Amino acid sequence: MIITKKRDFKELMGNIKNYKSFFLLGCSECATLCGTGGDPEIKSMKEALEAEGKNVTGSFVAKTGCQVLGTKVELKPFKDAISESDCILVMSCGAGTQTTVELFEDKPVYPTNDSMFLGNMTRMQIFDERCSLCGKCILDKTGGICPITACPKGLLNGPCGGTNDGKCEIGPEIECAWVRIYNRLKRIDKLEDIKNTAEPKDWSAHKKPMSLSAREKKSS
Amino acid sequence: MSFRNNLESGAFVVTAEIGPPKGTDIKDMLHHAKMLKGKLDAVNVTDNQSAVMRICSLAISKLLLDMGHEPILQMTCRDRNRIGLQSDLLGASVLGIKNVLCMTGDHPNAGDHKEAKPVYDVESVQLLGIVDSLNKGTDMMGNEMKGGTDFFQGAVVTPESNPIEPQLMKFEKKVSAGALFFQTQAIYDIKKFTDFMKFAKSFPVKILAGIVLLKSAGMANYMNKFVPGINVPQDLIDEIKNAGKENALDAGINIAARHIRQLRDDKICDGVHIMAIGAEDKVPLVMERAGLL
Repeated sequence: MIITKKRDFKELMGNIKNYKSFFLLGCSECATLCGTGGDPEIKSMKEALEAEGKNVTGSFVAKTGCQVLGTKVELKPFKDAISESDCILVMSCGAGTQTTVELFEDKPVYPTNDSMFLGNMTRMQIFDERCSLCGKCILDKTGGICPITACPKGLLNGPCGGTNDGKCEIGPEIECAWVRIYNRLKRIDKLEDIKNTAEPKDWSAHKKPMSLSAREKKSS
Repeated sequence: MSFRNNLESGAFVVTAEIGPPKGTDIKDMLHHAKMLKGKLDAVNVTDNQSAVMRICSLAISKLLLDMGHEPILQMTCRDRNRIGLQSDLLGASVLGIKNVLCMTGDHPNAGDHKEAKPVYDVESVQLLGIVDSLNKGTDMMGNEMKGGTDFFQGAVVTPESNPIEPQLMKFEKKVSAGALFFQTQAIYDIKKFTDFMKFAKSFPVKILAGIVLLKSAGMANYMNKFVPGINVPQDLIDEIKNAGKENALDAGINIAARHIRQLRDDKICDGVHIMAIGAEDKVPLVMERAGLL
């Protein structure tokens, strides 16, 4: 899921200081799991805004805020509340914010969260990055552990000289990705997977902006 | 004779490190370079070492070359993508630089521009492969070039990395990618280093042991605690401590000289790379006491 983090409230207030009334839009998927855009967070945002003398015209938690057409349909009953507001605050990820921008071209839209990374919830409210969305997966060659993501340098051929008792030179809280990969492949007897030199990565699979059509081509 | 020829002829070679300064005042650096002139087989020029922004390695390598030194251009992958690296390598070649040391490079987190976006488009093993391509007259994509390079390319290894197996795997990859010589992380335990050399000697590469001059017991303790792959044994720390504060550096010079002498006399490796880290003026003294001058 997309891990989001609540922005500093003062920073947010700085961004929206010229507006008086707001519609709040959350998301029931990642942002809810992250505690940044579900019902409780919308409630506390409403209270915080009202304490600052602002007005909340309405709110809604979209089922999947990055699903543009679905969100459009879901928001139909909130037409009036949205049009009464000076701007929309989106309490999900950057994709959710941009859904809202696409649906409401004439309305200012502000994110209340920072989008951090694609990761897993490993324990309640603890998130770890797992994937860099590089466009060409190499997990099949690295024991299912992604060095592009788990190694701060994204190394493809083994640990750097900074590896230290299984920890990373960046900080002891980070496990050395290449020690993890090595140990896992040793355990499953597949060390030969990393014996050959990995060539420089083809980053053209990651040209911005990316788009994909998963529709099946109609046969003519 | 060149660094390459000396190594290939089997001579015990000595290199030292020159760190380009931060800022354009290069007086001190030139002073150190003058002191070392004629004493070394080559001089390593660091590339924004520890991710601290300084004068580029290429410019200082060229200045040292003009002074009569033989530079080893250190090149990291932290600050340039594959286009920038190849372009700078071609530039180094036309400036007359013959040796290049390929490294991944310390993360910006270690330096004075922590907000920088790290590049790491390629890394040390792949950079060695890139140098190999340029030497063969094509760029890394296989495009023909008008004139190739003729670099003597090296890499680094940490013989006391823990765990050691992944480090040795990477060492082998560096050899396959074309590394012809290696400089090691600082070593202080000659017996452990000899064990590493038993492994390394099965490859057709030259190994220069890293010698970091100990300036105080505090420095040794600091490195033990914070620098990965460096283990200064307690008896050496005690030796410096027992020498007293005023003579600590002198004791450090003795240790470095003793290690160099042993590495050479027992033919343990092919040479040494002396890193004096701020005490470059002491390098000639280390060499003198090691019987190299």
